[in-house]
Formats: sequence, C-alpha cells, structure tokens
Amino acid sequence: MSALVLATLALITYASRAAAVVLLPRPSARFETILSRIPAPIFASLATATLLSDASALAGGPTLWATAGALLATPARSLLACLIGGAAGYALGALLG
Amino acid sequence: VVLALPAAAAVAVFGSLYGAAARGFFGVPLTLASSLLVYSGALQFALVALLGAGATILPLLLTAVVLNLRHLVLGAALRARFESGPLWRALLAFFLADETFGFAIAAGNAASPPAVGAATERTLLYSGLTLYVAWFVGTIVGVLGGGLAAAEGLAGALFPVLFIGLASMAVLRRSHVVRALAAALLTAAVALLLPDLRLLAPVVAGVVVALPGRDG
Repeated sequence: MSALVLATLALITYASRAAAVVLLPRPSARFETILSRIPAPIFASLATATLLSDASALAGGPTLWATAGALLATPARSLLACLIGGAAGYALGALLG
Repeated sequence: VVLALPAAAAVAVFGSLYGAAARGFFGVPLTLASSLLVYSGALQFALVALLGAGATILPLLLTAVVLNLRHLVLGAALRARFESGPLWRALLAFFLADETFGFAIAAGNAASPPAVGAATERTLLYSGLTLYVAWFVGTIVGVLGGGLAAAEGLAGALFPVLFIGLASMAVLRRSHVVRALAAALLTAAVALLLPDLRLLAPVVAGVVVALPGRDG
C-alpha cells in the first residue's frame, strides 16, 4: 500500500465523518425526533455485533457472562454500573471456566 | 473522560494487535501514519485482512466507502445537537467513532436542555482525544513487537459491555427500549443470514427501527 492510497483512505474516512456534522443544516423538528430515536438501537445493535465473530459464532463464555452482568445493571441507566456489572460477570465467567 | 478510560485501555490493546499485524504489510512508517490519519479500527483491520488476501487498490477504496457509511448516520444524529460553527464542527468530526458518539450522546442526555450542545461537543472532543491517543500508542506498542495479545479476551469483552451501558443511557422513553431490542434482533438476524453485511448491520438496523411509529 502506497502513501497515496493511505491518504485517499484517510480522506474518504474524514469526509464520511464530516459530511453530516459540517455540511448538514440543523435538522427540522420532525427529523430531529427521528434522529433522537437512533442512538439506543445503534448501541444495542453494536453490542450484538460485537458478540458475534467474523464467522457469526457467539463470543466465548467470559464475554457472555460480562454481557449478562452489564444487562443486569441496565436499570441503573449508568455506564459505570454497567462496567462494574460487566467486570463482575467476566470475573465470574472466568472463575467458572 | 474518566468513563472513557476503560474504553481507551481496550482500544490500546486492539491498537497493539493492529500495529503487530499491519507492520508486515504496510511497513512501520505507513502503519503509524494509518493510525494517525485514518483512526478507524474497523477499517484498518479490514485493510490488513484485504491486503493479506491479495486485494488490489479498488477493493480497499470500496471497503473504506462502505464501512464509513455509518458515519453519515452517527454524524446526522450529532448534528442535531451541535451548536458551534462549521470550522469547530469540522475539527470535532475527526473524532467521530462508534464509542465517542456514544459518550457524546450520553453526555448530552445527562445535561440540562440549554447545555446539551456544549456537553455533547466537549465530550466528543475529550473522549475522541483520549481514544485517539490510546489507539496510536497501542499501534506504536504493536509495531515495536509488544502486542498485548494476552489481554485480547478481556478487551474484547469490554465492547459489548460498553455498548450496553451506552444503550441504557441513551434510552429516554419506553419506546426506545422496544426499538433497541428490535434493532439487536435485526442485527443478529443479518449477521447470521447475511454475514457479508455484518459490519453495516448495526447502523442499518438502528435507522430502520427509528423510522416508524410515535414515541411513548
């Protein structure tokens, strides 16, 4: 891979990041309502995607235990609580082996 | 920034794995430059895999376009909250990634209405800088032969936990829970039935479930 290809890849990546953030006008109220619904589903989807490997196989035991621990902590609606729940789950999963 | 530190540690681990893997394909200078200029773990790992499979330039560029499509959706969601001018937004845009988007949205949700824009922008900048430094330092460690493969399992477990935590913070209404569950199921279905679209599935699912109905 040459420096020119790398620069092109960097440009494509930055353009995709900046396109909506810089060029899009502030959205209408209706569009803003729809956009406000997007984050939670995207995060739930990303969590699901990270649990599936390239071969679409489910992640290993400790990771699933960590996920369960984080899910149990979701009623607190706190990232810290989910991280603690996940860490506890991971430790339990590693212990159970 | 404090809550971004566990994510930064995991990003550093994956950065080291990337550095170790990419060095053989790109050489040291371009491997480091790729983490400095591209700053996209998903794309950079995909590039290594493609080059390993003998891909030419066109597939590399097409992969970059496809993988980066999700930034349009994430950027649009952030744009609704940003209040600063185009130059500052152009700087902030560089730090847009799945994780930093999550931290920024969560900070905006936690702020009082007049402070949403400032909190979102500030958090995107600080968490973006934190993860950017972690990714680059991790790449340096990997290039120098210090891959943190032993920590890969723990780092890998952090990402679903992180995204679950961010989802819980992004839920503002009961209907958001239903939409989040529907998106998770849709993503799992796409990953199982159409594995080639696995990397695009989260954003597509997020948009699809956000469109219909009312909030409740």
